[in-house]
Amino acid sequence: MLRVDHLTKNYGDTVAVNDLSFDVAPGVVTGFLGPNGSGKSTTMRVMLGLDRPTKGATTINGRSYHDFPAPLREVGALLDAKAVHPGRSARNHLRALAASNGIAPSRVDEVLEFAGIASVADKKVGGFSLGMSQRLGIAGAILGDPGVLLFDEPVNGLDPEGIRWIREFFATLAREGRTVFVSSHLMSEMALTADQIIVIGRGRFIAQGSVDDLTSHAAGTVFVASNDNARLAERLRDLGGRVTVNERGLDVSELVSTKIGGVALAEGISLSELTPQRASLEEVFMDLTADSVEYGSAHVAS
Amino acid sequence: MSVTLASVTKSEWIKFRSVRSTLMGVLVTVVLTIGLGALITTAIRGHWNQMDPIAKLTFDPVSTSLGGTLFAQFAVGVIGTLFITSEYSSGSIRTTLAAVPRRSRVVLGKLIVLVASLLVVAEVVCVATFLLGQSIFSGVVPTASLATGAVLRSVLFGGVYLTLLAVLGFALGLILRQSAASISTFTSLLLILPIVAFLLPQSWQSAISKFLPSALGRAMMSTSPPANFFGAWTAAALLVTYVVVVLGVGVVMLVRRDA
Repeated sequence: MLRVDHLTKNYGDTVAVNDLSFDVAPGVVTGFLGPNGSGKSTTMRVMLGLDRPTKGATTINGRSYHDFPAPLREVGALLDAKAVHPGRSARNHLRALAASNGIAPSRVDEVLEFAGIASVADKKVGGFSLGMSQRLGIAGAILGDPGVLLFDEPVNGLDPEGIRWIREFFATLAREGRTVFVSSHLMSEMALTADQIIVIGRGRFIAQGSVDDLTSHAAGTVFVASNDNARLAERLRDLGGRVTVNERGLDVSELVSTKIGGVALAEGISLSELTPQRASLEEVFMDLTADSVEYGSAHVAS
Repeated sequence: MSVTLASVTKSEWIKFRSVRSTLMGVLVTVVLTIGLGALITTAIRGHWNQMDPIAKLTFDPVSTSLGGTLFAQFAVGVIGTLFITSEYSSGSIRTTLAAVPRRSRVVLGKLIVLVASLLVVAEVVCVATFLLGQSIFSGVVPTASLATGAVLRSVLFGGVYLTLLAVLGFALGLILRQSAASISTFTSLLLILPIVAFLLPQSWQSAISKFLPSALGRAMMSTSPPANFFGAWTAAALLVTYVVVVLGVGVVMLVRRDA
């Protein structure tokens, strides 16, 4: 299990992570979601002992990263797929990594095969596509057969086939009882990949739960169409509903569908459609992080 | 199994030998030391009869034959620098430090690899260029023999000097983390500092210039170091001290800073 405990990380005056706490359980794929610059990578770097927390701590299975005698056997990580010496072959990169933690060289061939890059193992990494580099990064992460795996934006640069492969790979790792922690800034991707989702924004915790939890808690709207939309809208507004009229019917929020049906029955209005609109995860995400987007589009334009 | 100094050293050895820049650096070191050594000794042989009698009197066949090290020192500096700065430029330092959280051990592993391999290369190259130089001198210019203690010491110190400079380059890389910044700092220490010292008043000059790394190298490689220079062993001890200090700063910075 991964635990982040009141973690704060400042870089000079910039607060990258602000009093962040959460737990990541084994056996499921946990998505780590937030806009770019929200502190996901910083949190992962602290977990791996690369950056020193300003306050708070992260632990892995109750221990600090520095206490593992052979970290690669406990935690596998892919932070930046391109962070490999471009002049070194994939095989030599993995061999050096394996040697540092006393992992048998034969394991290198296994993970190369598994990641589907055995045929280019002796080629220089500098010539790899981003997708191939991601596969090499994944091979490096599983080198020590660790129980905890961290992946920072792993689907970037993968083709559709690679994305399907990596989703199945995460699911398999989780089924084997491992802790799988995957960051992304893409909600749609996380909806398909993760069982559990932790949302952060501007370095702060925003929400944690299953995809269903997150969408059901969001305020949904109800679409309703009837033979007298104008009168129905008026009655619903009287009851505190927020109603937007469009040419097909009404979008109602603040009132549940059973209440709307009851009002229609009482008024003798016949309904042709009554559909609760479930917020998509994307909308929930935009809603949750609206206040915390570090670089809004207005900044991009300027 | 766990992370030990032996496992880290093995890992660093794989890294060191698996990139072309190391191989190129070693090749340049060999070519510069032996090639320029041959060039210098051949030129002296050709001009020996026209040389000033006083110059002939103070002529040192040993340090002259090792003249190529003045150029090779930049090649070994680059080898040492790139061994660490290439990890920063590619970003692989994070993979390295995540695999080996005890950072001082990473430095020690790299140091063992760097010193062991460069000492072998540099000693072989220095002995070779010395022997080649003496055979070129032979018959015209006075020669020296490795059987003489001071001669053997000078030649072997040539290899030690080059190895220490590789470690200096490595230590600067640890501090500055950028190839260009580290290499230009290294070059400045060896080339610009002597020029600055030369511009100082005469009295200051003689007091300061013997402390410069390049002057220490000259002292180490001379059978009888010129006046105003330290003795060979004192010079070697001073250079080791410099390198250890810079390395110590580098280790402290590596341990303290975020990767």
